[in-house]
Amino acid sequence: MTKPIIEVKNLAKSFGKNEVLKDITEQVDSGQVIVVIGPSGGGKSTFLRCLNLLETPTSGEVDFDGENLTTLDTKRVNELREEMGMVFQGFNLFPNMTVLENIKLAPMKVKGINDAAATKRAHELLKQVNLDDHADAFPSSLSGGQAQRVAIARALAMDPKVMLFDEPTSALDPEMVGEVLNVMQELANQGMTMVVVTHEMGFAKSVADRVWFMADGYIQENNTPEAFFDNPQTERAQDFLSKILM
Amino acid sequence: MKKRLVLFFALVLALVTGFTTMTATTANAATDTSLSKVQKKGTLVMGTSPDYPPYEFQATVHGKTKIVGMDVAVGEKIAKDMGVKLVVKSMSFDSLLVALQTGKVDMVISGMNPTPARRKNVDFTHTYYQGGYSIVINKSDKGIYKNKDSFVNKTIGAQTGSTMYNESKKQTSGTTVKGMTSVSDLILALQSHKIQGVAMEKPSAQAYVANNKELAAIPSDFNLSASDTSASVAFKKGSTALVTAANKSVDQIKKQNLVNKTYLPAAGKYLKTNTVNTSMFHYWKAFLTGIEYTLIITVCSVFFGFIIGVILALARMGQGGAVKTGLRWLATAYVEFIRGTPMMVQVMFVYFGLGLIVNLPALTSGIIAISLNSGAYVAEYIRGGINSVDDGQTEAARSLGMSSGLSMRYVILPQALKNIWPSLGNEFITLIKDSSIVSIIGVSELIFQSNIVRSDTYRGVAPIAVIMVLYFILTFTASRILNYFERRMQHD
Ligand SMILES: Nc1ncnc2c1ncn2[C@@H]1O[C@H](COP(=O)(O)OP(=O)(O)O)[C@@H](O)[C@H]1O
Ligand SMILES: [Mg+2]
Repeated sequence: MTKPIIEVKNLAKSFGKNEVLKDITEQVDSGQVIVVIGPSGGGKSTFLRCLNLLETPTSGEVDFDGENLTTLDTKRVNELREEMGMVFQGFNLFPNMTVLENIKLAPMKVKGINDAAATKRAHELLKQVNLDDHADAFPSSLSGGQAQRVAIARALAMDPKVMLFDEPTSALDPEMVGEVLNVMQELANQGMTMVVVTHEMGFAKSVADRVWFMADGYIQENNTPEAFFDNPQTERAQDFLSKILM
Repeated sequence: MKKRLVLFFALVLALVTGFTTMTATTANAATDTSLSKVQKKGTLVMGTSPDYPPYEFQATVHGKTKIVGMDVAVGEKIAKDMGVKLVVKSMSFDSLLVALQTGKVDMVISGMNPTPARRKNVDFTHTYYQGGYSIVINKSDKGIYKNKDSFVNKTIGAQTGSTMYNESKKQTSGTTVKGMTSVSDLILALQSHKIQGVAMEKPSAQAYVANNKELAAIPSDFNLSASDTSASVAFKKGSTALVTAANKSVDQIKKQNLVNKTYLPAAGKYLKTNTVNTSMFHYWKAFLTGIEYTLIITVCSVFFGFIIGVILALARMGQGGAVKTGLRWLATAYVEFIRGTPMMVQVMFVYFGLGLIVNLPALTSGIIAISLNSGAYVAEYIRGGINSVDDGQTEAARSLGMSSGLSMRYVILPQALKNIWPSLGNEFITLIKDSSIVSIIGVSELIFQSNIVRSDTYRGVAPIAVIMVLYFILTFTASRILNYFERRMQHD
């Protein structure tokens, strides 16, 4: 078996007295698509943000590609973040830059790639997300679905090994959800390692290799989508699914 | 004699005296090298406040503005007798003694009378001129007023804090004494019948009367001691050699009656040529210089103030670590301190206080002080601007592998700046107006220039109207330009 690309060991995170993550030990293998589901407020976002150290764990460790992130200096953490793209619920595009500039900024400033090469790569990525005709648009003129696809292209521009998605379609109008999920599905087909927090059960069923059910600060279940949806083991998950699938 | 000493000028003086006596007494004790120092550098720098004709004032000579007057003639004689060149440096009267103590000038000749209080801080030569006081009235009132006692139930004006102001209060009864900062303003008040007489020095009174047909002078008949009506040259305390040398010249001036025979008539001639043409257009060069300096000060201060502001804002927002906490504390203290003290005091502190360590020209000092001041305000705008940018922006940047520095520079600051652009624009426009404060240390910006034009032309209102319009043109143009850039930044 290949070495896992992400290993989480006894991860815990508290905000003051609020123990959001209590004790999480899981791993993600290279090329796997993990879908994390669970009730709102269960700590899914916090968990995802601990993976690239946007949130500092209270205890436990997060290993990425064999390196324990919690012991590294800021510079090395910055370097490893390049290899973990992140897509947010609210897109977080840079409103003062065009679509193209949004995508080119980090490759040029962080990796030192020259303008021509960065531009070329940005156009390739925009084609991949079907938005090359919007290269010179400003984010404010984009629909939610378009903005999220640009955000995905922007994250991909750093050539990450892993992509983290935090409810990428939750802020979208229903008719735009499909275009974003399609892009994600394609990405999965290409073999990208992905950790996706979502409420899109259809996506989970068809794309995920594993489903992690998270509630009350623990991963309550870790199973294949078929097993999880057809035969959830815990009462917590049964309860959650009955509410969601009604 | 002029004796204006606003309270905090006195304080600054006291402070500076404290510093200098602490540092200088040991040096002076051995041998006095003051004269040889001046002779070595070949120049004698005279400080004066050129708004007091015929003692000292600005005149246009062959198209160039120049400081002239009987005091300049005295200074020239002293310099010549020492075998060096005279350099005249102008600044407000209140700043003169501080400038002397901080080494900005070698001597002060500015119609200054050697009062016991001043003798504590500086050394005076013998008296070179014995003046007296007159009261200037409207010519139409000539039959009504005879001397100081004729103003019962009337109002006499005098320069605030001057000997005349104090004596008018003491030596009249039933008379209201109105104080104003400048003689030009007093004359204006006189002509608009807000006051009935202006007490001032005899030569000045003569100059005003000679240049304005509406005015007349009457004797004041005040009871005064000699030291209140005499003028002396001031040197830095302890420079005995310089005083001794200057006294030789002063004694000659006295003996040959040079002031009355030569200097005053010569000054009078400048006054005449000076006031032939009192149209504001004739002084366009003076105003242009004013605009130039106002803009230089404003633009430089905005530039450096902005840089200082960014640094302070970042320091104030630093989190964690002892160093960052220390910096945050320092930056906060700095901002609070600057915002809690008047800009005028800061300007004087930089010019005179910092002047003890490095000798900075007035313009540089002004720019430094205003930049330091503006930086504190800009820092607060920037901090607000940074806080107004959504946290998601930082997270997106950091998730792409950008360091906190890169995120700040390329993602957060540009957005913060856009948000605070209107506030920064306001700061720029405020600075155009507030830069006028540096006039007190003698920088030729608009206010300073307008005061000179006022004392040159004996016209009180016209120069004010001119700079009012000029300031408006400056601020209006600036706000148009800023609006243009604001519109260009609106992408969303
Ligand atoms: N920065 C923070 N400071 C304090 N509490 C937080 C912070 N971020 C999240 N939390 C708390 O952590 C809990 C889990 O939040 P979150 O991870 O966003 O859950 P989910 O994404 O599953 O809805 C919530 O109770 C939330 O209030
Ligand atoms: Mg969430």
